[in-house]
Amino acid sequence: MILDASAIAGLYRSHGHIVLRRARTLLGSEADAREALQEIFAALIRNPDAVRSAGSIVGWLYQATTHHCLNQLRKARTGARVLELNVRPGMPESGRPRGEAAAEVRRLLALLPEEVAAAVVYHHLDGMTHAEVAELLGCSRRQVGYLLERAQGLWDRAEQSA
Amino acid sequence: MNLATTPLSWNSCLSALRLDRWMMGELASTDAESVGAHVAACAACSTAVAGMRGVREEVRALPLPTVLVRPPVRRRLPRPAVAGLGLTLAASLLLVVRSEVGDRERRKGPGVALAMYVQHGTEVRRAAPGETVSPGDAIRFAVSTPVPAFVAVLSLDPSGRASVYFPPGPRAVQVPAGTEVPLPLGTRLDETTGEERLLGLFCTTPVELEPIRLALQQAQDGAPLPTDCQGLRWSFVKR
Repeated sequence: MILDASAIAGLYRSHGHIVLRRARTLLGSEADAREALQEIFAALIRNPDAVRSAGSIVGWLYQATTHHCLNQLRKARTGARVLELNVRPGMPESGRPRGEAAAEVRRLLALLPEEVAAAVVYHHLDGMTHAEVAELLGCSRRQVGYLLERAQGLWDRAEQSA
Repeated sequence: MNLATTPLSWNSCLSALRLDRWMMGELASTDAESVGAHVAACAACSTAVAGMRGVREEVRALPLPTVLVRPPVRRRLPRPAVAGLGLTLAASLLLVVRSEVGDRERRKGPGVALAMYVQHGTEVRRAAPGETVSPGDAIRFAVSTPVPAFVAVLSLDPSGRASVYFPPGPRAVQVPAGTEVPLPLGTRLDETTGEERLLGLFCTTPVELEPIRLALQQAQDGAPLPTDCQGLRWSFVKR
């Protein structure tokens, strides 16, 4: 497949929804999600070989969106810390509105190492099987199991310390 | 908080990745049929797919980002534009491009035409009957249509396997009226030897391509076309 500017514009029309939908979930902000959509396709203009070497356009868009959004979550966390904003302490799930609980998930994702956070996103937020996660992360299914187990431990500790 | 039960956790039985790949035509035909049957019978997955389609329509309605906006389409596909396909040659075998209708522009119907451009190394030319090109060359299609039409280009490879060259999605996509409007995706010829046949479709509706692809594979050139489509056929012979 040839990915010149017009081809990438075509991909934006045909596949852009995959980026926008997942960025909305991961970032929880319409403005940030739309910025992610633009950023990811702008990156494709700069480096069209990235998707050609990936083998699957959908798979590449999942990887690029996850990477971009996790970076944004980490930047937001760093920004909040620099500005000394108060991060809402953890609350019992039953007593927490859904929006706040979703924000807490994003905050905790920002605390996890990238590969662990990506495994969590793919498996729990996208519902992927271990085989599908392994394909996108480029590792074995056993490694995916290790990452998810590690994620739950880190998650529990982060919640307790919040 | 259990990771499997957060407010952001996925609720359908098939993963978002699998549903997206199904929607975008990335699954093999038997796999796609299996997913389609499941979605039709599963409330959670059909709801997820409906949500995905809703976002797809949103994005299609958005203006293109500035970085993706191209200059207006020219009436002719000039050499520099085609050279922008940006591919290098990796070829040793030769391919003969043949037209079954013997017409350089493969016209059928009132003003409908399919043209093909070939990039061989740095040289770009319009394909003509009997012209030799090489596997590894880049090809790109351009269409002419007096009215907006939903367009697709399918192929039958030498082994009789049908595939869709254009578009990447599951349905024919609308192309504005114009002369030699370049289709936004090109491709590179593979090195399989033998005859490769192309079918250009010009339809009045965004027809589903998978049934047409399957019919083409089963009946080869005898496959009937949808009633709301015109077809233009080409043939390449690799030798």
